Amino acid sequence: METKQFILIGVAIALVIAVAAPFLASGNPDGLESAFFSIYEAKPFMGDELDEDAAGAAEEQVVATTGNDFSYEAFMPDYSIPGLDKTGEVLAVVIGTLLILVLVFGVAKISARPDN
Amino acid sequence: MHIPDAFIPMGQALIYWIIALIFIALALRWARRSMEEEKIPLVAVLAAGIFAIQALNIPIPWGTSGHMVGAALAAIVLGSPYAGVFVLTLVLLVQGVIFGDGGITVMGANIVNMGVIGGFVGYYGYTAVKNVIGNAYAAAFIAGWASLFISAILCAVELAIAGTFPLVPALIGLGLYHAVIGLIEGGITAGALYLIASARPDILEHPTGVSA
Repeated sequence: METKQFILIGVAIALVIAVAAPFLASGNPDGLESAFFSIYEAKPFMGDELDEDAAGAAEEQVVATTGNDFSYEAFMPDYSIPGLDKTGEVLAVVIGTLLILVLVFGVAKISARPDN
Repeated sequence: MHIPDAFIPMGQALIYWIIALIFIALALRWARRSMEEEKIPLVAVLAAGIFAIQALNIPIPWGTSGHMVGAALAAIVLGSPYAGVFVLTLVLLVQGVIFGDGGITVMGANIVNMGVIGGFVGYYGYTAVKNVIGNAYAAAFIAGWASLFISAILCAVELAIAGTFPLVPALIGLGLYHAVIGLIEGGITAGALYLIASARPDILEHPTGVSA
């Protein structure tokens, strides 16, 4: 396979995953969040039920414990664009994927060894 | 496994940033010395694919989900643990700054856990297991699984030091969930390696064949 073709297929696969991800992704808490909620008794260790109130209280409790109250408003919080629902989620992941493509290419270009 | 800001005190978060910066500097040195000009598009595409697949949370039992990290895959394909550090640092930077996924003050810890541990366990796990059993894809699966599991164990220890989690429940909780999520990491690492090796065997730093 030619390099150009290989790279284009790679970009296409990444974009297909990016478009599909918001529809296919599970909304369940990830491994770290699940461990956090179960240790703070907002969710059974091996169960599905998340107690939203207890989860909120746990988040406040953890800030009190660590003293790290740094907060930051991301441009597209949780891979979404406020007000755009699913379309916004698809756009967010696609924009992120293209941004990574350009950013990594740029940083690699600057830092890679010159062959010529 | 992206740690949010509130989970680690500022002082400790700074220490993880210092460790991360050392490995970032080493990763940049690797890029300058070993990343060939013609490999740059591959690095960029691999990173884009890793970012996209990280957005795809796959359900596991117990009302939980998990996604691939990808440092092991980058390290195996590009032939250096520092490739994992290089790619994951930029992915985590964009995830934290643009999407609020993973904290800003604790980004150093996330880079250490996923980029450094993922890259090193992935790369050395792959080469070691491949030398013993000879099958590149089985080695990639095991290395991918181990990279995620060991990242989670380190994450548990960091959060215990932070006072956020008690140590034993942290090890059990993060360990169990990520032992299962690691199957996703291992499976996709092996599958992606197979696809790349089939399309362009010449691109791999370590050929997948037995006689390598």
